[in-house]
Amino acid sequence: MKPTLILVGADKGGVGKTTVSRALLDFFARKNILTRAFDTENPRGTLKRFYPDLAEIIDLGNVAHQMKVLDTMDTANVPVTIVDLKAGNMSYALDIFERIGVLEAARAGAFNLGLFHVIGPSIASLDEIAEIAHYLQGVHYVVARNFINETNFFEWDQATQRKYFAQIPKAQEIAIPKLNEMAYEQVDLAGVTFKNFIENRSPDGSPGNYSFVLRGYVRKWSSEIDEQFAHVKLIHDLLTGGRLPQPQLVAQN
Amino acid sequence: MADKPTIYIVCSDRHRNGKTLLARVLVDYLMLEKRDPFVIDAGFPEGPLRAAFPGRTALVDFSQVQGQMKLFDTIMGSPGRDYVIDLPVPQTENFFATYRQLDFHMEATRAGFQIVVFFIVDKDYSSLRFSEDVQRQVAPALFIPVRNIYIGSALVPRSDTLSIDIPELDREVMNLVEARHFSLRNFILGDEGNMAAQHSRKLKIFLLEMMTALRDIEPAMTLARLRA
Repeated sequence: MKPTLILVGADKGGVGKTTVSRALLDFFARKNILTRAFDTENPRGTLKRFYPDLAEIIDLGNVAHQMKVLDTMDTANVPVTIVDLKAGNMSYALDIFERIGVLEAARAGAFNLGLFHVIGPSIASLDEIAEIAHYLQGVHYVVARNFINETNFFEWDQATQRKYFAQIPKAQEIAIPKLNEMAYEQVDLAGVTFKNFIENRSPDGSPGNYSFVLRGYVRKWSSEIDEQFAHVKLIHDLLTGGRLPQPQLVAQN
Repeated sequence: MADKPTIYIVCSDRHRNGKTLLARVLVDYLMLEKRDPFVIDAGFPEGPLRAAFPGRTALVDFSQVQGQMKLFDTIMGSPGRDYVIDLPVPQTENFFATYRQLDFHMEATRAGFQIVVFFIVDKDYSSLRFSEDVQRQVAPALFIPVRNIYIGSALVPRSDTLSIDIPELDREVMNLVEARHFSLRNFILGDEGNMAAQHSRKLKIFLLEMMTALRDIEPAMTLARLRA
C-alpha cells in the first residue's frame, strides 16, 4: 500500500485545525492504522501537548525537518503521516512542497497526498480556497467546515460552491460538528486525547475521573466525525484498499 | 425490594398528575424496606422532593449541562445504592434524549444498576402513546405504567404486565401531606401528629394500597427477567 501524507491546515487561525488533526489521529487509532504526526507549531505545539509520544515538532522551512517527514515515508512502516500546519502556514507549506517536488511526486503516484483545509464561518476563510487552488492538482482536497467554535455558518449555497470549487473539481466537503463547549474545555484541561477522554483514561493511561456526561458528549461527537472521515475518498480507499465503492455522504448544514 | 441497585425514574408527559406524590411514596417505601435511596429532583428551581427529603436529595436543572452532570455523574460516581429520579414534564423529552445519547442504559447496566420507569399515563390517548415511546426507547428492566384514579387515565391495565394505580386521596388530606414537614414514613411508623381521625384513616388506606402495589415490583421484575 502506498504511504499517505495528510496535511491539515488553514490560513486563518482559531478555526479548529488542531482539533481536526486530533480527531484524525483518534480515528486512525480506532481503525488500528498506525500514524505518525508532525506539528509545525514551533517551538510549542498544541498537537504535541495531546500526543507527546506520537507527535514531533518540526519547522517546515528547515531542510532536515522536511527530510524527516518526507524521506521516511516509505521506510517508516507507518501508513499514515499527518502534518498539522500552523495557522497562516498553509500556502507557505504548499509552496515549499511545490518547489521541492513533493506535489509532483504525489501527482506521479509515489504516495497519496491529502489536504484537509479547515475553514471557519467567514468569507475570508473561503478566499483561502482560491489562493491555494493552483497547488491542488493531484491532491485529495477536503474542505472541513468547522462548526466547533460557531453555531452559525455562512450559507454554503450552490452559487458559493460553484465559485470556489470550480477550479478544484475533485474537492470534497465534510462538516466538523460542534462539540459541547464544556466537554471541549474539560478535554483541553485534562490534556488527553479525545479517545482517552472517552475511555476515561489519564494521560499516563491510568483510570481517569472524567464526567460521564461530558465523556458521552465527546463520544457522540467523535462518532459523528468518524462518519464524516469515513466518507472522504482518500480515507475510504485507505481503509478498504480502494476495493469498495465509496458511499455518499449525506449533506449537513 | 430488589437486591440489585435500582434507578427508579418517575415521569409523565403531563403536569399535575401525581408524579411527585408517587416519587415521594416510593422513596419512603424504599427507606422502610431498609434501602438507602438517593433522590434526584429535576424540578428546578422549586424542588418539591428536596423539601420532603432534605439531606438525601440533589436538586438539578436538567436544561443545563451542569445539571445533566449533576444527575448522571452523581449516579455513575456512586453506584451501589438506589436512586429515585423525579422528572418534571418540561425535561422529560430532553432527559430521555440525553439518556440515549450518553448510552446511559448500557453504562448503568455495566455499573450494576437495573432501571425501572414509572410513567403516569394521563387521560388522553396521546399520553398513552408517549408512554409506549418511552418504554420502547428506554427498554428498562421494568416499565410500570401508572394510573392516577383521581385524574383518570387512558391506560387499560393488562393482566400480564404490572401497572400501578394511585388511589384517590381526599383534597384535605392531600393538603396535609403536602405540608412542608409532613413525613409519610413517620406517619406509617405511628407518628400521626394531630391529624384528625377521619383524615388519618383515609391516608392509611391510601398508603396501604400504594405500598401493596409497590411490593409487586420485585415479583414483576423476576417475571420480566424470566421472560427475557
